[in-house]
Amino acid sequence: MAEVTAKARRGRGGGFLPFLLLLPAVGLMLALYAYPFVSSIYRSFLGSKGALSVANYAKVRELYWRDVFFSLEISVLSTALAALVSIALAAYLRLSTGWFARFIGAIYRFPIFIPFVVVAQMMRTFLAPHGLLNIFLAQIGLVNIDAPLELLNWKGLTFGFVWKQAPFMALIVLSGFEMVDDTFIEAARSVGARLPQVIVRILIPMSRASISVALILAFTSTVGTFTLPYMLIGGQVPTTVTVDIAHRVTYFGDYGVANALGTLSYLMVLALAIYYLRYTVRKGIYEYQEG
Amino acid sequence: MKRWMSLFAFLVVATLLLTACPAPTPQIVEKEVVVEKPVVQTVVVEKQVVVEKPAPVHMVYITAGDVNMLALGQNVLAPAFHEMYPEVTVSVVHTGPGDAGSRLIFEKLLADKQAGKDPGDVDVAMVHQKFMAWAMAEDLLLKYADELETWQYMTAADARNALGTNIEGYAMPMFHSQIAIAYNPDFVPDPPRSYAELVEWVKANPGKFGYNGIKGGMSGVGFSIGWIYWKTGKYEKYAITGPFEEAEVATWEEGLKELKDFNQYVTITAGNVGTLDALNRGELWMGPVWVDMFYTFMLEGKMDPKIRLVMLEPGMPGQPMYFVIPKNARNPEWAKKWVEYVTSPEVQGKIIIERYNWYPGIDGKFVQDITPPEAFERLYKDISPEILSKYGLSFPIVQYNDAMLEAYERWAIGG
Repeated sequence: MAEVTAKARRGRGGGFLPFLLLLPAVGLMLALYAYPFVSSIYRSFLGSKGALSVANYAKVRELYWRDVFFSLEISVLSTALAALVSIALAAYLRLSTGWFARFIGAIYRFPIFIPFVVVAQMMRTFLAPHGLLNIFLAQIGLVNIDAPLELLNWKGLTFGFVWKQAPFMALIVLSGFEMVDDTFIEAARSVGARLPQVIVRILIPMSRASISVALILAFTSTVGTFTLPYMLIGGQVPTTVTVDIAHRVTYFGDYGVANALGTLSYLMVLALAIYYLRYTVRKGIYEYQEG
Repeated sequence: MKRWMSLFAFLVVATLLLTACPAPTPQIVEKEVVVEKPVVQTVVVEKQVVVEKPAPVHMVYITAGDVNMLALGQNVLAPAFHEMYPEVTVSVVHTGPGDAGSRLIFEKLLADKQAGKDPGDVDVAMVHQKFMAWAMAEDLLLKYADELETWQYMTAADARNALGTNIEGYAMPMFHSQIAIAYNPDFVPDPPRSYAELVEWVKANPGKFGYNGIKGGMSGVGFSIGWIYWKTGKYEKYAITGPFEEAEVATWEEGLKELKDFNQYVTITAGNVGTLDALNRGELWMGPVWVDMFYTFMLEGKMDPKIRLVMLEPGMPGQPMYFVIPKNARNPEWAKKWVEYVTSPEVQGKIIIERYNWYPGIDGKFVQDITPPEAFERLYKDISPEILSKYGLSFPIVQYNDAMLEAYERWAIGG
């Protein structure tokens, strides 16, 4: 009897204590993430008179529709290219030994620590018509400096995103590759697999979870980046949704349309976010990889 | 535990050291230094005040604008003010360029007001014209300017009216800045002098004129608004007399569609600085720039010294930046002294014109004798005071301004 009471008491305490312990973290999440998130969606449906309306979305449709698709396209393209670069880099670091591989392994992370605004300034001077890249190419005779490569557009923007995101993705992908036991690679090689086959048929399938996480995190932050597109193609047509959001707030104080644009960018990342949550929360990355 | 103890002890000692530092002696030493300055009279009078009221004053000056505004406050004005009034220290806060920077200041002041914070955190602010309509509508500002000694030098119309809002007494311009067209005489020996000539020029030289659209900074916004003034010929109505009439908007369609056509022959640059950089590198031969940024780039060696300026007929917009004092300022009297100091002919001539290449906030004739002749000459070399008064226009009143930007998006970008 006494045992049962003690158990019940412990049970009661156990029922209450976890909530108490979770309260600060969950409270902070609710106040700083959930509330602004829900409120921005709600406000995107408020018209100028404060009544519910879709006027903000109508304005987005009229003025910024092309920019919405441009943002999506540029994010998909940049993430896909960064994924290819990062997988190649991670595979090299996983499979190679020697001083050069160690050297690359040490320096490839640098772009991760460089803020987007600094990347943007670097790209502006590097990619400009008379910038470092064009002058270099002109010096070795590949480009006529009077008709230089025009890179301060979607091409340069994609280049900037790949430069910044690929090392970050490589970091995550490499951690997945490191978890693939050497025996699998050795077994594949002993039956005649060449390097591309080792990468495509062993490393990538066994690290799908890490690669997915890298893709999702890179895509999400690309969709939300303001400084790089603003500083490279801010005034151009089309431009990204983030530039439009800043434009609505800065010049018009118009949070309604800005929120509507924001909501559309949530939608862009929502599908991937759900997928990510299912992966990490329900299945668990490690469980999946072992299974 | 031990680490925590030693950290705590360190903090206690550090705090004691810091609080023990301000001894009364430096005031005497400073007095000797200051007496050698040319402004002996003022300083000596204020020194007596210091003796009566030694309580230290901490003032917060918040500024919008490019990073040069922060440098001006932090490295030049605040130390000089502290030297005049040793009991006053000024902290400078910077919110960022363009209307976005002013927007942040507005939101800060509004939040203070809504939270009932009195006194508030901000003593004096430096803002763009658009801020005035927002802040006046919310009744955030103190009426102070007509009490100042330097109000008598304030003759410009925009000291009384900002984009259609009556601001008389609520704001003092620190400087005026102007948008003009920079051109490289190596490639453009005889630059276009009107919008009409420019249209012909870009067709003959595609890609060599560049501006930053309307989402990348105010020099592009100003160029586009000048375009609408040119196409409609209604500058007076849009910028000075008003009133706002929705029906006007539809009349811009054709002009803006022509701007869309014009845009096919030009390069869209990456911001105000993007245009300047491209001119300097020789990628562009012409482009609209802020005059002050242009000369500052030149002084810093970041601009090809051959490049010159020209104003387009029928005119291009410029704007002042204003000092305002919030109603709930903690130190309104010191804030007034601060504004008075910066709008004095000495500071206007030696700092605003000579160091920063702005047109003065106060009437130029009170400044001319104080400014070094070469600085005065540099500022007015390409754009004479006559040209400036003829072609230097205001931005439109707020409703027209917003409508023009959106019309640009509708017809010069989309459509």
